[in-house]
Amino acid sequence: MHIPDNFLSTPVWTLMDAISIPAFGLIARRASRNLDESRIPLLGVLGAFVFAAQMINFPVGIGTSGHLVGAALLACTLGPAAAVVVMTAILAIQAFVFQDGGILALGANVFNMAIGGVLAGYLPYRIWGATKARRFAIFLGGFLSVMVGACLALAELLISGVPMPRPVILVSVGLFCVSSLIEGAITLSVIEAIGRLNPGWVRGPSRGNNRIVLLLGGVALILTVAGFLIASTAPDGLERLGQQLGMTARSAFQAPLADYSAPIAGSVWAKRASAGLAGLVGIYGACLLLGRLVLQRKGVRVESA
Amino acid sequence: MHHVRVDEWSRGTSYIHSRDPRVKILVLLLFLVALTTTPPARSLPGFLLQIFTYAGLLWIGTATAGLPAGALELRAMAVLPFSAVFALITWLAGDPSRALLLVTRSYLSALAVLLVVATTPIPLLLRGLGALGAPRILVLIVQFLHRYLFVISEQAQHMRSAAACRQAGTKSRRLSTFQAASGAVSVLFARSYNRAEGIHRAMLSRGFQGQFAQGTPLRLTSGDGVFAVLMLAMICSLRLAFLSR
Repeated sequence: MHIPDNFLSTPVWTLMDAISIPAFGLIARRASRNLDESRIPLLGVLGAFVFAAQMINFPVGIGTSGHLVGAALLACTLGPAAAVVVMTAILAIQAFVFQDGGILALGANVFNMAIGGVLAGYLPYRIWGATKARRFAIFLGGFLSVMVGACLALAELLISGVPMPRPVILVSVGLFCVSSLIEGAITLSVIEAIGRLNPGWVRGPSRGNNRIVLLLGGVALILTVAGFLIASTAPDGLERLGQQLGMTARSAFQAPLADYSAPIAGSVWAKRASAGLAGLVGIYGACLLLGRLVLQRKGVRVESA
Repeated sequence: MHHVRVDEWSRGTSYIHSRDPRVKILVLLLFLVALTTTPPARSLPGFLLQIFTYAGLLWIGTATAGLPAGALELRAMAVLPFSAVFALITWLAGDPSRALLLVTRSYLSALAVLLVVATTPIPLLLRGLGALGAPRILVLIVQFLHRYLFVISEQAQHMRSAAACRQAGTKSRRLSTFQAASGAVSVLFARSYNRAEGIHRAMLSRGFQGQFAQGTPLRLTSGDGVFAVLMLAMICSLRLAFLSR
């Protein structure tokens, strides 16, 4: 589910951008730390592979067919951090070149599918990848990668106040389940086939120190389960949460601008138009600052890695 | 293929084509924020006025860039499968005005993005994004992804035709077709992997030292400044004109 622009309310997309830009920055930093620049062509070409692999149809019965989404596959072959970066690159190309997903909503899409999808998909492989349950872990990873992304997107749409009657939510969650099962089966089957071609291409679950990956994957999983439970039991609750979020965001943006807004054009203009722009500027500033901080500390962290 | 056309469009030399990519990206963000924060109009004429004013701005941009408006608009409809479904649900849930708003605004946003992509070659756009602070590793990967996207897609296409030829007329069992498909994907993976190794060897033979070159830095001209101020004034005044409902 690539959310286009204008579907998420201003507080929701600014919040999602504010979460995923620094989170992505951290993961990208981590990926480039463990990565020799000579591996960059490989990541780019495998991103192109995921695109192209979607042309190959898998028959799943009743005359329909599914295709690979690829988040869990990338996580098992490239490692989680590099997989997040490749998935983000795919989403960026989809948003800019193919108008599949919005630009302001890119933060939300990256969080749902690249960060949440990849890390939740990698989680079972990280835990059970080296045990007897390896095949189940790969299947579950494929399942979760799609399920987490879709449920997060659905929850964001609901919080933004896109009205969805309860039957629609139930039907879409049902459809998500089916496509997640298909992704799980395809991921397992493809990874086994790749392993037969060259066992070196499928990475073993790293036992290294990747707490960020585990943490973010766990958070995405918990958010999905919570969103799923709330959506299926009390969809009104999510809408109320959205309204509250809107009010908090509005008052937060209003406060610093209150003195300036009166002489410009009354308070209405300051309230509405500034919210989005102030959000963007704030996010940009926060990211630059965070980037600088991380860069300054990088020397220390490389030694500890 | 449509993306090839967008690529051709982006190589023009119009006033908009020759603006700095950073300025175009920032103006695009400003436009998208203005559009998404405009309060919805209460009446249908007000709604139409809003939509056509923002669309008018994009049409002026398209005309200045010398792009075929019809083809561009057709291309932006890629957003409709998603937005139309949700708009339909919104309509059925009893909120037709919001449904209209979702469809029209998401379409205009897609059109605005397309206008920028159709007037900026992707490598230049990526340099602009990099200069605005996008992580270097992401910019490099997107560059490679975009360069090899069509090569690998074509390979997938050939494999698909070959598979269709082999099983022409036969109705094979579902499980074996499923396994054949995963075999095809794994072969595509292997070919992509080998291609990446080939690219790496080619890079090494051309003197790659382990670090990508930075490229010449982008330069802002006075024309870019004028364009930025003009767009800022236009978009802000539009947004101010639609202050209240």
